[in-house]
Amino acid sequence: MLELLSYDFMQRSLAAAMLVGAVCSAIGVFVVLRGLAFIGAGTAHAAFAGVALAYLMGWPPLAVAIVFGLATVWITGLMEEQGRMKLDVSIGILYTATMALAILFLGLMKTYNAEVYGYLFGSVLSVTAGELRIIAVLGFCVAGALLIFSKELYFIAFDQEMAEASGVPARRIFYLLLTLVAVTVVVSLKTVGAILVFAMVLIPASTAYQLTHSLAQMTTLSVVIGTLCAAGGVLLSSAWDLPSGPAIVLLATAVFFLSVLFSPKRLRRAPAH
Amino acid sequence: MAHPIIRFSHATFGFPGVVALEDITLEISEGEFVGVIGPNGSGKTTLCRAILGLMPPFAGGLQIFDCACQELRCHHRARIGYLPQKDALDRHFPITVLEAVMMGRYGALGLFTRPSKQDREIALHALENVGMQEHSKTALGHLSGGQQQRVFIARALAQQPQVLLLDEPTTGIDITTQASVLDLVQRLHRDMGLTVLLVTHDINMIRERVNRLVLLKTRLYAAGPPAEVLRPDILREVYGKDLVITEKDLIIVEDYHHHHH
Repeated sequence: MLELLSYDFMQRSLAAAMLVGAVCSAIGVFVVLRGLAFIGAGTAHAAFAGVALAYLMGWPPLAVAIVFGLATVWITGLMEEQGRMKLDVSIGILYTATMALAILFLGLMKTYNAEVYGYLFGSVLSVTAGELRIIAVLGFCVAGALLIFSKELYFIAFDQEMAEASGVPARRIFYLLLTLVAVTVVVSLKTVGAILVFAMVLIPASTAYQLTHSLAQMTTLSVVIGTLCAAGGVLLSSAWDLPSGPAIVLLATAVFFLSVLFSPKRLRRAPAH
Repeated sequence: MAHPIIRFSHATFGFPGVVALEDITLEISEGEFVGVIGPNGSGKTTLCRAILGLMPPFAGGLQIFDCACQELRCHHRARIGYLPQKDALDRHFPITVLEAVMMGRYGALGLFTRPSKQDREIALHALENVGMQEHSKTALGHLSGGQQQRVFIARALAQQPQVLLLDEPTTGIDITTQASVLDLVQRLHRDMGLTVLLVTHDINMIRERVNRLVLLKTRLYAAGPPAEVLRPDILREVYGKDLVITEKDLIIVEDYHHHHH
């Protein structure tokens, strides 16, 4: 396995996977706590529709994916605020509608395009140096925004109305979070793929959630778990010639179930009132 | 009389198609302890949201700290410590007591400023004020309902507010704890000179503690010292047949449901 690490492509894919693992699991903390899991899953499919359209028209795929992703999170954010329709229903409609668009665009291409399917299923081992640079730049932007606005993001995750009442610009922070979710999803498309990207957002954060009673600790644990699972998954996939996206996600899932088994929260009884 | 810091003048509030509070004229002065009472759906929570500047009036005006409530900015809101009606807290939400209280500092700090050592000390001092200092590292979800209310009061105090706005602070906690939470609020009013607005359905619990009572049922029915407001004729007009006044002068409002807005 050490021998594998001497290859350029292997170093690139490990770096890409670890970057994506770290960013996804950091934002995942806020997604899990604020209850936005479904919004994120919908965004991933919308972003893939953007990629498909880009290949069809000969446009830059990441840029179109970001436009599609942002449009989806902002529309669902507005729907959540207005509360006119149950959120799961409205996201369900957007989710499937964007997937239908993606399938439509794929159909219109007439010929099989392996690169597009790379965005659907992920192909970390084929990440180019240019793509790695884009992942790094966008990843650092997301991580920087999370660091700068962490106190407000924690507050709206805990209680958005309370945050607003006590003088935090909660609505703007909520839209910032949605925007960061969309950017994160797009950054991760190439690595784990549209179908699996949201597992990388949800699983490490949910694993950390099982293990701690502190926000700060949950964030640290989530990033550590996400980064290690991403690296571990890439190594497993290259050692045993497995597809990388599923290897990363299944490794993270195994760690999640272990955390549920050993969660201090499960072992503790409800407090008396 | 001290300087009024909250001033409603013929103010009407509501949601599209629903009037929640109508033609309210009311002044609240610095340092007062005011109890807000009224039946279900009488607009008590709307009054709180209005004071926080979260709900501009349809008609009339509302001034808070000499500022129209529509123009209330984040730093104004930070001067009002708010305890919302208690929702069921997710017991597993990973947050320690100190982390929750520190959130009280965030509004005043503004964006881009990280909490300093001094903010931490303010938060710890707020915890000390509510008698919860030994629990600073405990998970919030491990505390009892009454203890959680104390922590949320500490979070409001960490804002270093001028006004403390409490919406049903005793709902959902046991009777003996209820009295101790109200004792705490009374002590904070007295010792820190805070202006307190306390919304409650439990008239007997607060009648001895407040300077003034405000009786709402969409309109403002009465406002004044408890003895003036708690007259059987006024109460009967507002509560109707749900009201029982016992020989010992206990006021019992029947058919009270905890979920009201």
